Amino acid sequence: MSKRDIRAVGIAGWGRTLGAAIISLIYFFPVLFIILTAFKTRQDALAWPMKFIFAPTLSNFVSVFFRTSVEGGDAEATGFGLYFFNSVFIGGTSVLLALIIGTAAAYGFSRFPLRGNDTYLFMILTTRMMPPIIAIIPIFVLFRIFGLSGTYVGIIALYTAFNLPFSVWMVKSFFDDLDRDIEDAARMDGSGEWRVFKKICLPQVYAGLAATFVFAVILTWNEFVFALMLTSPETRTVPAQIVRTIGGSMGVDWGLMSALETLFIIPVVLVTFALQNQLLRGVTFGTIRR
Amino acid sequence: MQGLKFSIAAAAIAAGALIGGAGVPTPALAKDIIINMAAPDWLPTRFMQEEFNRSYKAKSGNNVKLVIDFIPWPSFYQRVAASLSSGEKKYQMIVTDSQWMGDFVEGGHYLKLNKYIDADPELQAVIADMHQVLKDTSSSYPYKSTNYYGFPQFPDNLVTFYRTDLFCNKKEQAAFKAKYKKALPCYYHEWQDVDWNEWGQIGEFFTRKKGSPLGDGTADDDFYGVAYQAGKGYDFSSMQVNSMVWDYGGDIWDETGTKPATGVVNSPIAVKAMEQYLDLLKWAPPVAKTGQMDIFVVQDLYMQGKVAAVVDWVGVAGPVIDKKVSRVADKSAFAQAPGARKSDGSISRFANIGGQPFVLTTWNSEEVVHEALDICKWWLSTPVQTKFVKEGGGESGMLSVLNDPAYGTWSPFSRAFADNIQWQKDIWHIPEFFPLLTEQQEQFDKAITGQISAKQALDTAAAFQDKTLKEAGRIQ
Amino acid sequence: MTTTAPFQTSDTTIAVTPAERSARGFLGWLMAPERRGALLITPAIVTLVVVNIFPLLWSYGLSFFSYNAKYITKPPRWNGLGNYIDLFTDPEVWGRFQNTAVIVVGSVFLQLVIGFLLALLFAKEFPLRRYLLMLVLAPMMLSLSAVGVFFRLFYEPTFGFIPRSVQAIHFWLTGVDEPVVILDTPVKATLAIVFADAWMWSPFVMLLVLAGLVSVPKYLYEAAEIDRASAWRRFSTITFPYIRSLLLLALLFRTIETFKIFDVPYVLTEGGPGTSTETVSVYLFRVAFNYFRTGSASALGYIVLFGVIVLTSLYLYAIQARGSAAAEPSD
Repeated sequence: MSKRDIRAVGIAGWGRTLGAAIISLIYFFPVLFIILTAFKTRQDALAWPMKFIFAPTLSNFVSVFFRTSVEGGDAEATGFGLYFFNSVFIGGTSVLLALIIGTAAAYGFSRFPLRGNDTYLFMILTTRMMPPIIAIIPIFVLFRIFGLSGTYVGIIALYTAFNLPFSVWMVKSFFDDLDRDIEDAARMDGSGEWRVFKKICLPQVYAGLAATFVFAVILTWNEFVFALMLTSPETRTVPAQIVRTIGGSMGVDWGLMSALETLFIIPVVLVTFALQNQLLRGVTFGTIRR
Repeated sequence: MQGLKFSIAAAAIAAGALIGGAGVPTPALAKDIIINMAAPDWLPTRFMQEEFNRSYKAKSGNNVKLVIDFIPWPSFYQRVAASLSSGEKKYQMIVTDSQWMGDFVEGGHYLKLNKYIDADPELQAVIADMHQVLKDTSSSYPYKSTNYYGFPQFPDNLVTFYRTDLFCNKKEQAAFKAKYKKALPCYYHEWQDVDWNEWGQIGEFFTRKKGSPLGDGTADDDFYGVAYQAGKGYDFSSMQVNSMVWDYGGDIWDETGTKPATGVVNSPIAVKAMEQYLDLLKWAPPVAKTGQMDIFVVQDLYMQGKVAAVVDWVGVAGPVIDKKVSRVADKSAFAQAPGARKSDGSISRFANIGGQPFVLTTWNSEEVVHEALDICKWWLSTPVQTKFVKEGGGESGMLSVLNDPAYGTWSPFSRAFADNIQWQKDIWHIPEFFPLLTEQQEQFDKAITGQISAKQALDTAAAFQDKTLKEAGRIQ
Repeated sequence: MTTTAPFQTSDTTIAVTPAERSARGFLGWLMAPERRGALLITPAIVTLVVVNIFPLLWSYGLSFFSYNAKYITKPPRWNGLGNYIDLFTDPEVWGRFQNTAVIVVGSVFLQLVIGFLLALLFAKEFPLRRYLLMLVLAPMMLSLSAVGVFFRLFYEPTFGFIPRSVQAIHFWLTGVDEPVVILDTPVKATLAIVFADAWMWSPFVMLLVLAGLVSVPKYLYEAAEIDRASAWRRFSTITFPYIRSLLLLALLFRTIETFKIFDVPYVLTEGGPGTSTETVSVYLFRVAFNYFRTGSASALGYIVLFGVIVLTSLYLYAIQARGSAAAEPSD
């Protein structure tokens, strides 16, 4: 919004801002609570009346990665460095794979519909809609038979399939949106299909592919059940380790929990802000565009 | 074999040579052996890791590394069950809750150690040195047999945490005496004579509204008398209910596992004990009504100064006396948990065994087994156990350590622990324990939240136990 | 939608190669224009079949056996329809479905109401709108298990800010200072889960409704202004038709997602008091990975899967209906 617009808004507009700000802040309060708690000491974290003014500490954030567990002992790495790496590596790889396979399929569904196209699309969406807990029972047994439990290959394959329906539907929605006249003109000029895809269609959906990538990473980033059951100490992701008594002997260390969750959502919030315009499509798996 | 890396690195040989110079027989090749151990994430296991890194040297001359996978308590069972049954074979050792033993032994995951014990006098000495209660509960399957599977990594016990600034306050003591015609317990020995009825009186006495006098000041928030675990999750009410049922002479199953539970689990004694358990919750903070007052909530409430006395595990007592996290660090003391008064005036104070044994898994090579057993011997040796207790890491179940006359002075809670260890029993040691536990927790939760009576809860739990044991072919 | 064809249930078989073709001929055959679609979607279908569909078929098989996945050495034992019969006759199971249904109805209703109101708030342009919108969207970004963990704290009578605030307001109004306990009865605990879930997902509904509101052409309102139509009339005749189909989609989408609700009750109430907030997913997880009744869990999984398939078909049907009814310009 430019400066001129803001002046044009006038009192009524700012009144609306004030109202919206109050409601938004109330709505946001639980998240604010988590962020504030991340900067509090253990004693302050549970105080009532709630402390809004306090001496902030960064120790919770440090404790996520390095923690002294025994009085007078050395601070030791907690393993969260690895878990964060795993979250990024497993999430990134599987989403990239899903995006490549998904883009091909999406282009196929969009441009070369088969008989039974809708049946395939329906089947693909259903695999995404079903509760993961249903899939995990047989996958758990099959992973054991094929020796995939706790391996990167296993969990990446699983997350690839987990993200594929999303990628197909999302990317298809972007291809569907394109203006067909340009492609048809190119075909008239004698361009081959590969060239049409590579030079005309693909460049137009780059932004959409980026959005798809990011949303898929977020979905994977938050996944808990598969991670809990099918990762080993080496391949464990962050959500599998966020449970109430993180911090061990200290019982429920709310500051530490909050710091972890804060670290966890910051990238997500930033990315979402940048992609606000694609958000609707993102949260509905590309089934709704406007 | 995962977790095992054989290398003939020059550095390893050099290390072997160095040790050789110190009089230990030089091995032909020093191997790198990594032992992965699954363990709950808390002080007793953190201490073990740190002490291992600091001081452990393998007798074999191999480069042995212990890598503990610290798993948060709430997902601990899930994670271990998943790992074992997924066949990933990631762990060479596991710190296991004693009641899982039957389940995972039957599943073929835990290694029977008798063969190794028979061949090794040092291990025989370790077994001989273990407290009988721990041999029964932590080490053997079936319960109280001589089939050994593990050793106590850390034995735990339910004890009383109490506020010295309140219980030793002259004004409060006088007021208590006037009201109940008996002394408010302040010192350790006075607490040893507290039964569950008096626990209720203490609860009533110290439950105060915000702004009323408390100790030498006033209560800045509603204040509550007593609390113990009453949570739906895992075993966070059964551990306390079981203790009280045993205190009064009841039982939680037919220990031989051959007779029906109905009539035992829901005996009049057990019902009466459970009714008292429920009744005493009225002096606890309001969260008790929700069935969410688990061992961590009890710990938090106590550390935040909301309650005068609680019963909780020694394993979560460490933070209570840590100034950085606890508001009551300098005004807390520990005592044995209350019990039931017997007709002769003495007190019966059973408690459920806490803490965990560590076990070996079945897929290890002989070499790894021997290194793992060496680690067990190291951990259970007197100097290491002494250090463990003295530095506040946890408690010991080894007689040579427990019998030290000074044991009770090594940490604020070690006296209560040592005095109570003989009273420990264990919950069902059979593979069906998880359904039994879950059903019981569900029924207890309904009773705690006032949906059903103690009798209804125990009747249902008993019927479920019979059905489960019948299906498993344990009873007719 | 580019393909507005009605739903077809007929299967298309992706023709398999006749083996007699030479490699080069095969490649040429494979790359033929009429096979492009099939070729492009094959990798996706294969991936899903291998990682998703095959395991599901496997568990369909398992659902007829007594099997404990924990005991590697004990093979499955044939149980016929036993698992299904047990499940259909077990009141416990239907209790879990009822719990889930209550939570779904309550939560989705609340999401629609709150999401709709939030959308009205953000429908007009105003300064800082983009930033305030982010605050409202933030709950959706939290991890599900964190919502469970923190709402458990928020509801705690001594430490939680929700009961403490209610207590303070109650004291201010009536002078009675009593602790407020939220999770002590089945009804209140269910409401507590509904509230937490609705808080997290109302922004989702808001996004959808917002999309509808923004698409209403301005001239319609201007015309209504001239006719001096009442606010209600303006809403019912102009605004609502534009958001009706989106509300339906939001309803279906959130119903499917809430039906799966796992993390929040698993962590927040652990299914309590008693079993009053234990949802189907939580129960399924327990049967599968606490009790390790793998066969029985597979059977229950299939019953749930059937429900999801029905709901997903309804959802897609609604999308198609919207696509053809609105006859959107394909920009």
